[in-house]
Amino acid sequence: MDNNKKIRNIIQALGEHKDSQAAIDLLTELGTNSPDDEIRELTAQTLIRKNTHESLRVVLISKGKGINDLSARVAMASINELLSLKDKSEAIKILDDTIKMHSEEDVRNTARSVRALMTFSS
Amino acid sequence: MQIGKLSLHTTKAAQRTTANQNAQANKLSTNPFGVSFKGNVIQADVFESAKKSSTNIAERGKLFASAVVSGINNFNESFKSRMNAIVSFGKQVTKNVFDTVERIGNTEITFDMTGLKNKLFPDREYSVKNLANKSVDELKTMWSDLTPSVA
Repeated sequence: MDNNKKIRNIIQALGEHKDSQAAIDLLTELGTNSPDDEIRELTAQTLIRKNTHESLRVVLISKGKGINDLSARVAMASINELLSLKDKSEAIKILDDTIKMHSEEDVRNTARSVRALMTFSS
Repeated sequence: MQIGKLSLHTTKAAQRTTANQNAQANKLSTNPFGVSFKGNVIQADVFESAKKSSTNIAERGKLFASAVVSGINNFNESFKSRMNAIVSFGKQVTKNVFDTVERIGNTEITFDMTGLKNKLFPDREYSVKNLANKSVDELKTMWSDLTPSVA
């Protein structure tokens, strides 16, 4: 088993972990800052699947993470994961707040686009 | 016709006389073949070729016996050499077995069960099920160990 596969398993285990807040903190610290696109992609998907306010904030409003990632692959994977959520209410609420209040123009624009996509898909 | 009958008689009488002579000669003769020439039975073996052949048989017998003896000698030698090879092989095997038994007796066997488990099932340690039961701090350490440090 190579190191990437081991890290992917650790990320998956953190997604199922009982200590949810500690798992989100670790995913935010190591996963979203990983130089590997694949690791960042998997981390963003795991955080979105958790579907909590804390986990969604990381991938929706942080510059360079989740839907705002510079890698199109990571950003697209995050958007797809958001669109496949059964309960999108928390994600829509955060996106609305971001469109209204975020200081960064790029982040606001991205949030607006994703919000529109979520409206059409639901 | 008369002449024919007489001649037949004469011939039969002559045959009878020859047969009697042969029977008499057979009693005295040692010749097993009872060969006769013109009514005289040959008393002894007078054929040169017969004598020669008997000599040849004797010589052949000697040659045959010698061949048999040399064959036996050759067989004995090859048998001995083979037996020596077998015996030396058996000795070597016995020595090796004793050496191995002695080595086993002097070897201390210890089992590192955790290490053995990890070696036998290297993927089990990193299975999602196993990882989910670990604390987040442990997972953080494991993740950090797997990530190459950026200089």
